[in-house]
Amino acid sequence: MTSAEMARAAVREPSIDVDSVSKWFGSVVAVNDVSLQVQPGITGLLGPNGAGKTTLLRMISGLAKPSEGSIKLLGQPVRGDPELYRRVGVMTEQEAVYGLFSGREFVAFSARLYGLDPVGPAVDKAIALVGMMEASDRPLRTYSRGMRQRMRLATALVHEPELLLLDEPLSGTDPRQRLEFQHLMLELAGEGRTILISSHILEEVETLADNILLMVSGKLAASGDFHAIRAKLDEQPYNVRVVSSDARAMASALIGLDTVDSVTVNDDEALVVLSRNVEALQRSIPHIAKQQRIRLLRVEPLDESLESVFGYLVEA
Amino acid sequence: MAAIFRLSIKQLAGPRRLLLLLLLAALPIGLAVLVSLTLGEDETSNEEFVDGLLDGLLVAGVMPIISLVLATALFGNEVEDRTLSYLVLRPVSRYQIVLAKLGAALVIGVPLVVLSGVIATWLGGSGVLGSKVVLLGNDAVAIAAVGIALLLGFAAYTALFTWAGLMSTKALPYALVYVVLWEGVVSSFLGGIRYLSVRGYTLGLVHGLDERSFGELADRVIEFPAALVGVVAVTAGFFLLTVKRLHDMDVP
Repeated sequence: MTSAEMARAAVREPSIDVDSVSKWFGSVVAVNDVSLQVQPGITGLLGPNGAGKTTLLRMISGLAKPSEGSIKLLGQPVRGDPELYRRVGVMTEQEAVYGLFSGREFVAFSARLYGLDPVGPAVDKAIALVGMMEASDRPLRTYSRGMRQRMRLATALVHEPELLLLDEPLSGTDPRQRLEFQHLMLELAGEGRTILISSHILEEVETLADNILLMVSGKLAASGDFHAIRAKLDEQPYNVRVVSSDARAMASALIGLDTVDSVTVNDDEALVVLSRNVEALQRSIPHIAKQQRIRLLRVEPLDESLESVFGYLVEA
Repeated sequence: MAAIFRLSIKQLAGPRRLLLLLLLAALPIGLAVLVSLTLGEDETSNEEFVDGLLDGLLVAGVMPIISLVLATALFGNEVEDRTLSYLVLRPVSRYQIVLAKLGAALVIGVPLVVLSGVIATWLGGSGVLGSKVVLLGNDAVAIAAVGIALLLGFAAYTALFTWAGLMSTKALPYALVYVVLWEGVVSSFLGGIRYLSVRGYTLGLVHGLDERSFGELADRVIEFPAALVGVVAVTAGFFLLTVKRLHDMDVP
């Protein structure tokens, strides 16, 4: 399929269509009623560790079955027809490889399973793309973690898929390799492909992704342009519970801050502080406590989900 | 499919595993030599051969253990090493994956088991080593009966244990319990269990194919047609169950 054809296809249907998907393991809900659509270009699937990104990506790639809901890739249900993988490349979070293969044999093995014929040119091209030509004949078991990651990426690219699903592809790579990876992804996206990259490190994806999907506690907390999401979150009020040795003195000091909208003293002498700038608030509280000689006993967020999103974004 | 077959052969044919399998396969041959050389001229029964070697060692021991070692590793290692995703995230049907893997186990295991049985039968049953007592009837028929029965029995065990290897990472102990308790202990008390036992099918096939040489088995085997249907049903049934499991499971 040419770039133009891929672009036309994108108008008809999203590359990834996740509809009301949930996944639970016993009583633990890993992904909770997530719906999303992904179009061609680079999309970052972001969120703190344990947010449900990997579980969602495993369901999107077909490795795991949703407990509820449905997933379509390129217009087809992801589970049931393996022929779909001729158009989809997946790099899972698992770093395991077949130790008995050399790097080249590993990529060639995938190429054969993808039905490529001849295998050689495609393998050479994929290995060159990830910059592993020199080490390609060495056994995989002698590779560093970063080298293994790049060879695994080559196995996902070897058949030049329309859709690439990459789970933490940059773990174990050095800064130079990250830069090369970014160039490669931008090049592939420029050809009209769809790339979904999962990461818990925002900066890995921030410069790459046109759009982000933000997962928190198993839910899709936000989706769209990163800067728009961040601006929107800045507007949200944020509750923090502060327990100290002198609640009233602490309240007096906090209410004078520009970053604080209101302070409420609860019956248990704990303060609930409402702020629209959590970053500044977090910096201020210890200083105030020190100046006022107040002992801080506990500072905790009350909006767990929002805190995670916010904390995640502001820390990046 | 050929690529998965070759990969599986490489995975199964590690030197330590091969050595273990060769030693297992050599056991019946060694025992056959002993049986043949130690029999006196006046011994006319083939009981030692049939009870000790064929049923006791080959069918109840060597065949299931070789199958167990190979079949539980087929998917068990992929699941444990978390490499199964390299197979299922490719445009290859689950049916082809299972067929290629099962084929690899058969290509390694069948020659070992069948040759072990055939050579043991030839050495122990025909008096070729100098014993004046011919334990079995017609050499060729007896050897063919053992070879065919072991081939079919091994295929059934391998299909069963391959499925077990995909169902649980503890397939090996579970399978041993099945072989020892179900097929060994329970079936000796409850004759009907032989209709639900690969060992029972295998012995039924041996007896059905050469009643003259293996008449000793007459009182403890199921009918030949039942044995044939059973062994085919187990092989095909567990093959399909493995395909279904691979299709339905969450791949680690």
